[in-house]
Amino acid sequence: MRKALRVPVVLAVLLLPVLCPAGQADAVTPAPLPFSFENYRLGNGLRVLLVEDDRLPLVTVAVGYSAGTLREMPGQEGLAYLLENLMFQGSENVLPLQHVAYVQKVGGTLNATTTADKALFYETLPSNQLALALWLESDRMKSLAITPAAIRLTRQELIDEHKNRLASDPYLGTFAQFDALLFPDGLYGHPLIGDGQAMSELTESAIVDFYRTYYVPNNAVLCIAGNIDSARTRELVARYFDSIPPGLDIPTPRRPEFRRENDAVVRFAPIRAGSAGFHMGFRFFPLQKGEAYCLPILEYILFEGETSQIRSRLLKHDLSARYLTGTLDERLSVAALKIFCLATNAVMIARSQRGILAEIDRLKTNPVSAEAIGRAQRRFKRDYMDRVSTNLGKARYLVDAWAAGKDLDTLDDELSSILRVTPQALAAFASRYFTPQNRVVLEFAPQ
Amino acid sequence: MRRFRSPASAAGIFLLAAAMGLAPARPAGAQERFRRTAPLPDAQRLELKLPPVETRVLANGLTVATAVRPDARVVTLQLVIRAGEADSPPARPGLAAVTARMIGKRTKLLSGDYIENMIESLGAGLSADVFMDYTVLTMTVLDDNQLPDRAIYILRLIALEAEFAERELGAVRRSAFWELYDSKKDPEVLGWRQLLGVLFDGHPYRLATHGEEVIKYITPRDVAEFYSRFYRPGNAAVLVSGNIDGAATALKVASHFGAWSGGAPAETPAPPPAPNDRERVCYVEAPEIATPTIFAGNVIMGSSHRDFFPFLVLKQVLGGTTRSRLFMTLRETKGYASYAFSDMEVFRSCGVYWARAQVKPEAIVPAVREVVREIGALAATPAAPAEIEEAKSYLIGSMPMRFETSAGFADWMARFVALGLDQGQWDRGPEEIKLVDVERVAETARRYLSARPVVIIVGRPEWIGSCAGEFSAIEVYDTGGQLKYVTSKTGGGR
Repeated sequence: MRKALRVPVVLAVLLLPVLCPAGQADAVTPAPLPFSFENYRLGNGLRVLLVEDDRLPLVTVAVGYSAGTLREMPGQEGLAYLLENLMFQGSENVLPLQHVAYVQKVGGTLNATTTADKALFYETLPSNQLALALWLESDRMKSLAITPAAIRLTRQELIDEHKNRLASDPYLGTFAQFDALLFPDGLYGHPLIGDGQAMSELTESAIVDFYRTYYVPNNAVLCIAGNIDSARTRELVARYFDSIPPGLDIPTPRRPEFRRENDAVVRFAPIRAGSAGFHMGFRFFPLQKGEAYCLPILEYILFEGETSQIRSRLLKHDLSARYLTGTLDERLSVAALKIFCLATNAVMIARSQRGILAEIDRLKTNPVSAEAIGRAQRRFKRDYMDRVSTNLGKARYLVDAWAAGKDLDTLDDELSSILRVTPQALAAFASRYFTPQNRVVLEFAPQ
Repeated sequence: MRRFRSPASAAGIFLLAAAMGLAPARPAGAQERFRRTAPLPDAQRLELKLPPVETRVLANGLTVATAVRPDARVVTLQLVIRAGEADSPPARPGLAAVTARMIGKRTKLLSGDYIENMIESLGAGLSADVFMDYTVLTMTVLDDNQLPDRAIYILRLIALEAEFAERELGAVRRSAFWELYDSKKDPEVLGWRQLLGVLFDGHPYRLATHGEEVIKYITPRDVAEFYSRFYRPGNAAVLVSGNIDGAATALKVASHFGAWSGGAPAETPAPPPAPNDRERVCYVEAPEIATPTIFAGNVIMGSSHRDFFPFLVLKQVLGGTTRSRLFMTLRETKGYASYAFSDMEVFRSCGVYWARAQVKPEAIVPAVREVVREIGALAATPAAPAEIEEAKSYLIGSMPMRFETSAGFADWMARFVALGLDQGQWDRGPEEIKLVDVERVAETARRYLSARPVVIIVGRPEWIGSCAGEFSAIEVYDTGGQLKYVTSKTGGGR
């Protein structure tokens, strides 16, 4: 705890019951998953998860496919992202972009995203329109229309828009370069779209093969969360999805094969405009059982809140940075802590890096105080509760767990396990993974 | 997800589909009959029912409002001050925002570090949001272990015993400076700021358009004066929402804040300015942006006006979604824009609507003309009943979404209390929208869209050439909102 500069001793004693930081007085209450869900499979292998929440007249339908960038073969970079977008270009009974129109017409919102491990599609709409969402999702799972015209135009638009984004955000390109350094493995480190060259050369048959292989019920999860009646929802799910045939021979996702370096990798990237700064990352691979529970608490101790160790040091005390984030990137079988820092000026890059490494070293040598852990856990629990308070939040939580290969029956213990992480476990984790061999730095500055 | 396509793709795909039928990627046998058409909705009744806001006013004038949400696992605590950006003194724009950020940085007895530590020990954070007419300080904590009670205590401590010194102000100025500096690279921010600046020239609402350069002049004394003028119980409200006992919580708030003294400042809200009614085109030169963005908007009524809900429907018809007029014309039909939408925002005494579009550099002029034409068309010819019904359906269906999160609910509650809105604005929006008909929309369109909107173009200096000679005059501004020169149709500049 930082010292109070201006608290007279007598007053501090008088106010102790209320001024006493909560972490000193109370342990964080463990908590089970704050909602329950039904979990079953259809005959074709489709995993179905149902969450009832009748607070508002809304429902979210989310469909996740284990069809992320990890499924792309060498030379197919951009395929997963292209297919995600082709999913809006029509199917047997839905004309191009009518999916969007149907949802918006009833006041719904929708989106999709592709990550390393999955492609996720979701819509939130009035709960009396559940059948509409299931009809739309089942139609594109069953009979997507992949035409040469749709491929050509969608691909060109994706490439053009990516170029636009690169032009308007001077740092964007460095994120892809950094990922390639942090995950030095062809499949794990390649970007969603890259320079567009590989995407331009994708053939129609490669795209159709990808769809037929991975966009199948036995490689997917359907999660429905909201104001639903379970029996009626099961009926609708059966109606729209039961007759979709399963796929055959779905390959098992390959595990990464990272090169081991002897020391930290440091590179420099010139940027067009903006401020000087750097990315710094630590790769956690292979994670041992139970170690993943340390990750969110470490992230919160180091980066969440004004009193977090690294934020406080760089932004308040050293004044070496003007912008700083630290986020976890959890992919199938590997995780990483990714730090992005804009320095107050180019000279402060080295000082900021030293500050970060010093704070990380503190984790190894001086066990984190119970108060600091309590603070991080309390904040994490609050954010966690907030995240799963929406239908979409619940659906995404469950789909993410499915995509990560977690046992859905043990999710009830996950939060409690994170809230039980001890200072000793954190110190052991820090010593094991925060090593020069796992560290990557990419500095950048305007040309 | 990349959400939009070019008009060429639309035409291509539709033609192909029409000519050949859609070719499914997966071989399929005869499909079931139910797959051929979209299903009808269930007959389930969709009713937005929010928990009521229980409000009481303490003897010192402080409003205390609670809303019980038993399923929420967090409690949100807010201090609302009925003073915002527009209340900064004309010579000190940005003062309201800086003052709000100074809360929690120091009190008469506690240092900023100590306060931060107290707040974050609860697993909470303190945020300050400054709007045109009001300010909201927010803390959100878990609902366990008496954390809400501690949060109420801390809020009282930092809000009522705040003290302002140069050390903390320097840090606040630095972070505000960088945020404002970075925001100047966002054409949407630049466009919005310029639009407000033009529409509210000479009005207090113009104060919300300041850039980073004014922040450095703010002194601890300025902050202390603003605080002492506006941070008073008669001008404030404490709001608590979440999994709470409403009555007990209100009592706790009263016991902590009951001794706070000071009535409401004697302020008379400035009347709204007249809407713009002449061709006015402003060009903001922004060298670092990648794509031009255009805005077109004007002054409208406030949210308590009877035209509010019809205008909401009208705004939706104009550019609420990718199926609305602006998007269909500018992107799908003409291919000028990557997106085109419309928005509205209401303040205490009036509001603003605006259309916005990100366009191709070579299409700036035709895109501006199309946006202005679409706005005028709605005033001249009533929207079709089907368009209005679709807009209403969207608004009614989407309205509950903002209340899914604790933050969304609390923001709505803060706005409701700060602007003194009536119950019809709380959760009866869907009922009000159902009552909107074609005639009311047409009447509202005539009333508010007949006046010519102000046009703002945000673009690189080299793109202005395409606009030369196309408008009677173009006012050219820098990214700080300073007028650089005016070009006229005859080619003169000054």
